[in-house]
Amino acid sequence: MEHSIYGDHLPEMQALLDQIMEGLGGLRKQMTEQYGSDPVEHCLARIKSEESMREKCRRKGLPETPESALTKIHDAIGIRVVCAFLSDVYRIRDFLISYENAEIYEEKDYIRHVKPNGYRSYHMILLFNKKYYVEFQLRTISMDTWAALEHQIKYKHDVHGNEDLIVSELKRCADELASTDVSMQTIRDMIFEENARNQ
Amino acid sequence: MKLLLAEDTKDLNRALTAVLMHEGYDVDPVYDGAEALDHIRRDSFDAMILDIMMPKMSGIEVLTEIRKINIVTPVLLLTAKSEIDDRVAGLDAGADDYLTKPFAMKELLARVRAMTRRRTDYSGKDLRFNDLHLDAEKFELSSENSVRLSVKEFELMQTLILNADKEVDTKYILDHVWDKEPDARDDTVWLYISYLRGKLSSVDSKAKILGSRGGSYRLVAG
Repeated sequence: MEHSIYGDHLPEMQALLDQIMEGLGGLRKQMTEQYGSDPVEHCLARIKSEESMREKCRRKGLPETPESALTKIHDAIGIRVVCAFLSDVYRIRDFLISYENAEIYEEKDYIRHVKPNGYRSYHMILLFNKKYYVEFQLRTISMDTWAALEHQIKYKHDVHGNEDLIVSELKRCADELASTDVSMQTIRDMIFEENARNQ
Repeated sequence: MKLLLAEDTKDLNRALTAVLMHEGYDVDPVYDGAEALDHIRRDSFDAMILDIMMPKMSGIEVLTEIRKINIVTPVLLLTAKSEIDDRVAGLDAGADDYLTKPFAMKELLARVRAMTRRRTDYSGKDLRFNDLHLDAEKFELSSENSVRLSVKEFELMQTLILNADKEVDTKYILDHVWDKEPDARDDTVWLYISYLRGKLSSVDSKAKILGSRGGSYRLVAG
C-alpha cells in the first residue's frame, strides 16, 4: 500500500476532530438546556480524502508530502457548522476561539463582508496544539442552502448564455435569504424578550 | 410622457392639445366622458386632465369609475369657478389636483409637471442617506453589503430616509406605510422597525433608528 499523504498523523488528526466534535456536542447540550433549542442544525466534519489532498498539492505546485498537507494547506481537517439562527453562528465562533489549545490563524467574516456573488459564511482557521490546522465554516441554514445551489451551478459547465442573468439572480436570492435570516432572528429575539418580561 | 385630455369645448381642447404637444407630451384628446373612459380602459397614461362638465359622463363619474378598477394615474380636474361642491367631490373621488376655469396656460403646465413629477421623483428613485443606499427598483438596501427588503420594510425605510433626522411618530407611519390597514397596530410598526434595525446592522451601516415601542422614530447618521 502507498504511504498516506498524512504520514502517520491520521490517528491523531482523527482524535482531534473527535475532541472538537465532542466539545461542540457539549455546547449544544448546554445551550439547548439554557435556551430551549439546539443552536446547531447540523454539523459536518471530515478529514480531506487522500485523493483530493494529493490533487490540491498538485494544483498548488506543492510536493505530495505530509509537510505540504499539514502545514502549507490548512483544510486537512474541516468542520462545517450549520446553525438555525444568525446569533448562533457568532456564539459558536466565540466558543471555538475560547479553546485554550487553539490559536486563530485566519478569520474571515463573509457575513459582514459578503463576497460579490452573494456568498455568506464565517470562515476561521484555528491551529490546534501548534500542530494541526482546522478549517471551520460557520453559517445559517439559508446560507448553506444557497451555497449548495451555487456550488451545483458553478460546476455545471452547461450553463451558457444566461450566465450573467443566473449570477445576478443568485445574488438576489442570497440577499433575500440574508434578509429573511435577520427577520427570523428579530422575531426570535422578540419572543425571548416577551418571555423574559412575563417571567 | 402620455396624457389624456378630456374637454368637450372643441376650441379649448384644440388649444390645450397644441400647447401640451408643444411642451413635448403625447396627447390623446377626447370630447366626452364616455370616450374618455373608453380610452383609459384601452390605453395607459402618465396623467389625465378631465373637465368636470362633459356630455354622457361627467369628469367625476369617469374618475370614480377608474379608481374603482384600480387605475391610480394622477388626475387633474378642470372646474368652473362656482363649482365648489364639485371640487370637493372630485378630490374625494380621487383627483390629485384641480384647476379653476379660466386658467393661465402656464399654470396648467406647471400643475401637470408637478403631478407627473410626484410619481417619478418620490416613489421611483433611489435614496441615499449617510452610508446607506435604498434602491427603489430592486427593493435593495445596501452599505457594506446588501439585502432585499419586503414591500413594507422598503416603504418604512423610504419614509424614514425622506424624514431623516426628524421624529416620525407611530401614527404617521401607520397612516402612510400601512395606509390605515385595520390589522396594523403599534406593535406592527415596532416589529418592522426592529427588522430594519437588524438589517441596518446586517449591511454594516452606521445609520441608526432611534426610538422605542409605540413612540416616535428617527433615522440618524452614525
